[in-house]
Amino acid sequence: MKRLLGVALGILTAIGGFVDIGDLVTNAVVGSRFGMSLIWVVGVGVIGICLYADMSGRVAAVSGRATFEVIRERLGPRAGLANLGASFFINLMTVTAEIGGIALALQLVTSVHHLLWIPLAAFAVWLVIWRVRFKIMENVAGLLGLCLVVFGVALFLLNPDWGQLAGQALAPAVPQTENAAVYWFYAIALFGAAMTPYEVFFFSSGAVEEGWKTKDLVQSRINVLAGFPLGGMLSVAIAGCAAVVLLPAGIEVTSLSQIVLPVAEAGGKLALAFALVGILAATFGAALETTLSSGYTLAQFFGWSWGKFRSPVRAARFHLSMIVCLLVALAVLATGADPILITEYSVVFSAVALPLTYLPILIVANDPQYMGTNVNSRTINVAANIYLLIILAASLCAIPLMIITGAGA
Amino acid sequence: MNRPQHTPARLEPAPPTSGRVLDAQLHLLDRQVIDVDGLPVTTVDDLELEGVEADIPIAAGAAAPVISALLSGPVLGTRIFGGRPPSSRLIRLTWKDVSAVDVTIRLGVRSESLAESWVERWIRDKIITRIPGGKHDPH
Amino acid sequence: MILTDVLGSRVYGPDATYLGRVADARFVLDQPPPGQLLAGARLQGLIVSPHSAGSFMGYERNNVNRPWPWAQLLKWWHRGSFLVLWADIKVMGPETVTLREGFSAHDPGLEGAGTA
Repeated sequence: MKRLLGVALGILTAIGGFVDIGDLVTNAVVGSRFGMSLIWVVGVGVIGICLYADMSGRVAAVSGRATFEVIRERLGPRAGLANLGASFFINLMTVTAEIGGIALALQLVTSVHHLLWIPLAAFAVWLVIWRVRFKIMENVAGLLGLCLVVFGVALFLLNPDWGQLAGQALAPAVPQTENAAVYWFYAIALFGAAMTPYEVFFFSSGAVEEGWKTKDLVQSRINVLAGFPLGGMLSVAIAGCAAVVLLPAGIEVTSLSQIVLPVAEAGGKLALAFALVGILAATFGAALETTLSSGYTLAQFFGWSWGKFRSPVRAARFHLSMIVCLLVALAVLATGADPILITEYSVVFSAVALPLTYLPILIVANDPQYMGTNVNSRTINVAANIYLLIILAASLCAIPLMIITGAGA
Repeated sequence: MNRPQHTPARLEPAPPTSGRVLDAQLHLLDRQVIDVDGLPVTTVDDLELEGVEADIPIAAGAAAPVISALLSGPVLGTRIFGGRPPSSRLIRLTWKDVSAVDVTIRLGVRSESLAESWVERWIRDKIITRIPGGKHDPH
Repeated sequence: MILTDVLGSRVYGPDATYLGRVADARFVLDQPPPGQLLAGARLQGLIVSPHSAGSFMGYERNNVNRPWPWAQLLKWWHRGSFLVLWADIKVMGPETVTLREGFSAHDPGLEGAGTA
């Protein structure tokens, strides 16, 4: 019974923890501009993150080594540092975006300008990281994030023309109002939002935090294989709501209030309240995960002591580096930079940097020195190689497409 | 980059050994070092060899060099960007303290006693302990 | 001396023929323990790669052949690697390593060489 509860809890938190500010913004933008015609990318991204998380979780559980320790060991200091630089920079951008997201959600609730909420949001993130146990932190944020299911409910209440939505989704085509380059640019953004590298740093380090062993592999696999696809359904619902309400009205998404507009229209104040709690939990949870990930990547590269399972005095550099990252995020947001815009860039850069961390994990997941008999199966290797090609293609095309399309303008 | 003019056509079998064989790049460099209590200390940034000097001809029959210490700290920068730190700036973990080599390198001593961990100790004592709750054990 | 000084150095035979670069250094744990813990690590020799000396996975020294095609590619990239023993090294330094007259090249494989 206890084990079953554990599995259920794991799945629920994986669902609630899947969506972050990147998924929210990108899906709403895509829905409002392309209808359901880019939804297939969410599917591609979800399968990719399942594969990637399965491999890195397995490496962490079997060898006890988290992703960035492995990257340093296999790539050496030079390539490892280049990798760290890129991953850390994108991660810091995501921290900034998530904290901005928390502040924007609080602005929607209170009508107090988001700039005033930013210091409070950053402080709250730090306090949770400083004091709250890993397990509690993960579960509370994940479960509250489930409030985002209201986007799915809203989609039903809106009573859309399902045939038309399914038609767009199943026979994707570039809408007449958009050109192909912009379509593919947003395809990459959506892919980057679903497969953000921080999820993997967090997932594998979390496995070490929670002390996973080989015997926990089945449960971790269930969490990933059930939780992430269901979380992906939330992303689809967000895009669907935007496709039904915002696309016909010609509303372009530039703020959180437009993202929740369809929910308010369909379900009134109560639904809106759920959506806001969900967004707050999702961005707060992701802010915790990304802030921790910045500490994880640095500490693992340099071999510092890390982890929330130790008291802060036993992982001093790890905690200090997270404080510094939060201060940097605060400084960036204080300039008045638009968190939505930061988010849109961060998901594209995530796609650019993805191969850097994906390939080392694929290689180590095949190395018996680390994995013993738990090396990748042939099926996983075939799928992982196919995804490597997709990831490389997305990574190589991202910057040129960004320049050609003026970042999707 | 010029091509080798000559590669040996025939390889002799490797001589038998009576101990574990470790290749530096594969088993030692860039590995995580963990102290006797399981606390991460550093990564292995380089190794120090005793019994051989750079560019000085080796006498025939000289005893083979041994690893005297694992190095960390500024030597990482020089591995990345080139150059060499002065010998006095190397931070050494003597091989005497190593107890096992696995996917991590384990020490038989506590990190508290090592010169290597002074930065960690300084940040801990000057910053982290001064923030309320810093000593709070999460479990 | 410092190990990474010698990694990447150019290796020459006694007649100044260029043989490749130092790709790795091999140690054997067979010395009397300096303390009470682990045996001392003796330098057995250097691994010379005629093609490249990047930091790499050692696929040419073990029998891991996955993930396809990366393992095969790296194995091919480092084809022709060999081990030279300490006794055959005349000088080693950060730029060049020179071998003695009549040096012999050994199989660099780790399998059966006593490692895990």
